[in-house]
Amino acid sequence: MTTKIGIRSVTKTFGALTALDDVSLDIADGTFLSLVGPSGSGKSTLLDLLGGLATPTSGEVLIDGEPVRGPGLDRGVVFQQYALFPWRTARANVEFGLEGGRLGKRQRAERAREYLSLVGLSGFEDRYPHELSGGMKQRVAIARSLAYDPAVLLMDEPFAALDAQTREQLQDELLRIWRRTGKTIVFVTHGIDEAVYLGQQVAVLTSRPGRLKAVVDVDLGDRTGDVRSDPAFGRQRHRLWELLHDEVRKAAEHERSAVG
Amino acid sequence: MTTTLDAPTVHTGPAARPVPAKPRRWTKKLTRAVHASAAVVLFAALWELVPRFVLDESTRTFLPPLSEDLQALWGLVLDGQLAEHLLASIGRSAAGFAIAVAAAVPLGLLIGWYRPVARFLQPLLELARNTAALALLPVFTLLLGIGELSKVSLVVYACVWPVLLNTIAGVHTVDPLLVKAARSLGLSSPRLFRKVILPSAVPTVFTGIRMAASYSILVLVAAEMVGAKAGLGYLINTTQVNFQIPRMYAGIIAVSVLGVLVNQGFVALERRFSTWRPKEKA
Repeated sequence: MTTKIGIRSVTKTFGALTALDDVSLDIADGTFLSLVGPSGSGKSTLLDLLGGLATPTSGEVLIDGEPVRGPGLDRGVVFQQYALFPWRTARANVEFGLEGGRLGKRQRAERAREYLSLVGLSGFEDRYPHELSGGMKQRVAIARSLAYDPAVLLMDEPFAALDAQTREQLQDELLRIWRRTGKTIVFVTHGIDEAVYLGQQVAVLTSRPGRLKAVVDVDLGDRTGDVRSDPAFGRQRHRLWELLHDEVRKAAEHERSAVG
Repeated sequence: MTTTLDAPTVHTGPAARPVPAKPRRWTKKLTRAVHASAAVVLFAALWELVPRFVLDESTRTFLPPLSEDLQALWGLVLDGQLAEHLLASIGRSAAGFAIAVAAAVPLGLLIGWYRPVARFLQPLLELARNTAALALLPVFTLLLGIGELSKVSLVVYACVWPVLLNTIAGVHTVDPLLVKAARSLGLSSPRLFRKVILPSAVPTVFTGIRMAASYSILVLVAAEMVGAKAGLGYLINTTQVNFQIPRMYAGIIAVSVLGVLVNQGFVALERRFSTWRPKEKA
């Protein structure tokens, strides 16, 4: 197994605040990794570092052994609030990352259509974001990130704003897309269920400053049927709950003392 | 009023029985039109009736009933005077407006893009915007004379501020998440500006442009009252001096209709350019 993403002793501080403290983690090519931690544990900061939207204070982030120098089309980012361009139709949003590349106008349109169909949005190409539901918007955002074929997909609580049913539906579709495309996915979430259900591995961060507490392998077979009712799912979930519980309590205490 | 407006409903009722949806929509539209214009119609009625039946003879001379003013307006249309003055005014307004937009939009984008510059200039811009353009009319006349130049310059001055300030605001109010998303796609700064900041600023910029269009007429008419040989402001002023009161009111009506038309035109244009925005009103 080759390492796709290498995080080497990464520390990130914002002034006096240490968001991440000496985090090291290797993520193998094609892995679906869930990243959990209490609020303020630096999950999103870590994702920004991987995306090249921020630089580590010390340590380094490697993609295919090469240090990250800013954002690039080898990584796609999906945000919680969709971040669609409201003046562009669904198709034009998906084309955004392709513009300025090698593809011609017609090829871009074709590629956009193809990826919108992959996320189940055929027939909605000409809709504007304000004409789409939350779930549909996030599908467009996922299609946009997939369309330029990045090897790594970075997802920052992408389903947190959706209702439970839509969320489950999109989780299943994301797993389907992951299996089909073999991408390396780093998925930030604060839901233990979601982390276990999606991830082959779950990385747990501690409360502020964010340190890597554990990386748990999740083994749920081929995940068919009602996985969430499987006793194995419950066991995995409980293990993670125990790991997180202390951290969440610490984070809450920290917040209380900060307020008081 | 109500009887005439209800009439079409009664009329189409039996004929439209096979397709009842359409006439119903018609009546709905009609009722809405009645609601929308009720105040204006009422005002017009007062303007007609009060001078005719309430005011005494001498006051009536200064405030003739609407029908007399409209007759005077028709007279101005027939003898070509209205066209002459209207064209003179529109020419100046359009020139000043165009120059202001052409200068203020690029300048606003630049100032908005470089935040320190914006912070530095903002107080001065606020001061300039809140200085009534007409207060500067004497200054313009002193420096540029009483000809076209000073009038067009005054329009430029009045139009620049709303466009400039709205353009700066438009650049500043771009959703930071969209900028982050675009940056995550590796966009360079010039492309980020062209593909994210510019399109997201368009509606705000356009609001400024629409305001400027209104100002261009408001300010000009007043400027034309001083030392002009043509224009609606001149028309209003000379007719007043020469005691052609209905013609004076005709000029005023022409100015307000022109203002409303310009504004409505820009509202329609604005709507066409921002189809991607959720409709505020169905």
